[in-house]
Amino acid sequence: MKNGKFLIAPSMLWLGFFFVIPMLIVVAVSFAARTPYGQVVFDWNLNNYIRFLEPLYLSIFAQTLLVALVTTVVTILMGYPLAYYIAQLPKRWQQPGLILCMIPFWINFLIRSYAWVIILRAQGVLNTFLLKAGFIDQPLQLLYNEGAVMLGMIYSLLPFMILPIYVSIEQLDRRLLEAASDLGAPPFTAFRKITLPLTMPGVAAGTILVFISSLGMFVVPDVMGGAKSALVGNLIQNQFLSARDWPFGSALSIVLAALSLLLIILYYRAIQAQNGGAENAKNVA
Amino acid sequence: MKKNWNRIVLMLLLIAAFTLTLAGCGSGDKKADAPKDSNKKEQVLNIYSWADYFDPKVLAEFEKANNCRINYDVYSNNEELLAKMQAGGAQFDIIQPSDYMVTTMTKLNMLEKLDHSKMPNIQNLIESLKHPDYDPKQEYAIPYVWGITGIAYNKKYVKDPITSWADLWKPEYKGHVILLNDNREVFSLALKKMGKSNNSTDPKDVEAAFNELKKLNTNVLAYDTENNKQKMIAEEAWIAQMWSGDASFCNFDNPSIEFCVPKEGTLIWADNMAIPKGAKNKELAMKFLNYIYDPQISARNFDYMKLPNANAKAIPLQKKEIVESAILKNASSHADKGEWLHDIGNAITMYDRFWTELKTGK
Repeated sequence: MKNGKFLIAPSMLWLGFFFVIPMLIVVAVSFAARTPYGQVVFDWNLNNYIRFLEPLYLSIFAQTLLVALVTTVVTILMGYPLAYYIAQLPKRWQQPGLILCMIPFWINFLIRSYAWVIILRAQGVLNTFLLKAGFIDQPLQLLYNEGAVMLGMIYSLLPFMILPIYVSIEQLDRRLLEAASDLGAPPFTAFRKITLPLTMPGVAAGTILVFISSLGMFVVPDVMGGAKSALVGNLIQNQFLSARDWPFGSALSIVLAALSLLLIILYYRAIQAQNGGAENAKNVA
Repeated sequence: MKKNWNRIVLMLLLIAAFTLTLAGCGSGDKKADAPKDSNKKEQVLNIYSWADYFDPKVLAEFEKANNCRINYDVYSNNEELLAKMQAGGAQFDIIQPSDYMVTTMTKLNMLEKLDHSKMPNIQNLIESLKHPDYDPKQEYAIPYVWGITGIAYNKKYVKDPITSWADLWKPEYKGHVILLNDNREVFSLALKKMGKSNNSTDPKDVEAAFNELKKLNTNVLAYDTENNKQKMIAEEAWIAQMWSGDASFCNFDNPSIEFCVPKEGTLIWADNMAIPKGAKNKELAMKFLNYIYDPQISARNFDYMKLPNANAKAIPLQKKEIVESAILKNASSHADKGEWLHDIGNAITMYDRFWTELKTGK
């Protein structure tokens, strides 16, 4: 153990320089003020945090949380059956199934967002098809609204739900299901009492990945939402650019980071409780 | 157990890939962080500017003549430029701040004073740009590209020609208008409509402008600065608040697009050549400035870009169809209707607050 310590030195240094120090700088700047020309002066005050409490900014946080929540719920509802399906496939089809979920990641996220614009815009692929097929006589306004933002979020984050759920379903001990069946449990009961509780850690991991990623999203609202409704990510971006208010932007970032940290802590708590629950499920089975 | 490890590693890789792509789209160009000398003998001129702001041939000829290499990186707004300069670390020899950013940078002592005696070609500016109020004597910055903000519209959909900012509020344009995704530009539109200065720092004016914009919001399809041209060319929108140069670009691609200089007045802008304090290759930068304002070179450069040229001696040498293009000519003849944006200091916080509220307004 002692001899192995030098092995972690490079990663510790890396984290120190590129994570801890920048983070501390952000914390320090969040207590500073801006000059008329946008420079940072360190006068140690809480004004930026007090400003965050204004209803305007709180409402943006609330809106962001709501979008993140809806995204998470929808990705669970869509991701779970898909992950389950892939896990049930014959072994040699599972890997291709997963790779199909991942292929979109080989293309830059920004480009994929513009691909959606090309599909959905007034003269886009979808509207042209519907017009030609005679389903509609006016192009539908599919872009630059909240629905488009939700679509973009769900599309980009869905794989983060599928993969952890897949891993947990894949790990499931099939003998438990066989035992349940032998003891007369109908398939749905077996799913509810065994599969679901034992795969909850995967759902929780996916939830945390999707939820936290969607909190910081700013490209989707800009590109697919037409920059009409600001989420926290856009608000922070504005502070660092057009508003030239780095201290306020830093304070907002800290609040967002604190919120994410809180969620991760809750996640670990839940996992611990779940492990107890999983043991119970095993005993029942 | 081993198999599960494979899966987990796979997943982590994925996540890493995702965060990388996300990070990648936030900033402009990674190269700009570390322009470096790969070859010590060869000088490198680091230009940090807007996209498509030079004819590549013109740059290549300068490289050849001066045995140097040009490193041309781009940003998409002035704030990005300022943020990168303030963050330090990056070394540029030539930058292109717009008007109000010249003020900011001069106030922050970030620009080198220009020695006009070494650059005779920079004195050939057109009349309307000789004394811009952000730098009346070209001590720090020389106008390069300029334009005014106006209204581009597609006459296929817009039957009554647009003549004023107020026309944007017409109910029949609901969901068909694009505004620039730029706080100052959008407020300037509303302030001009109300007959106020677009540099007003009076909270009453700004709030009144905000209330006007809130009403306009129902007509707004999207706020977009980077892809508004594509949206107009593809006829996603009917009407867009647009810079004259961009409108001219759209018109070359889609002749149904017209441009109007709003009668209430508008804002005039210019992107300038400047040398940042502490530039490593100051001599070479000055040589470049003198070269790029040479009438012959400038004419070719601007024929390529199809943007309004600030160089009076170059304009007669340019291709007729570009200089005489209706939109550019219209914009040029209305330069006097434009008011320069100033840096408004702390009032920007107030603007930002209203801007944020505009984006949350249902």
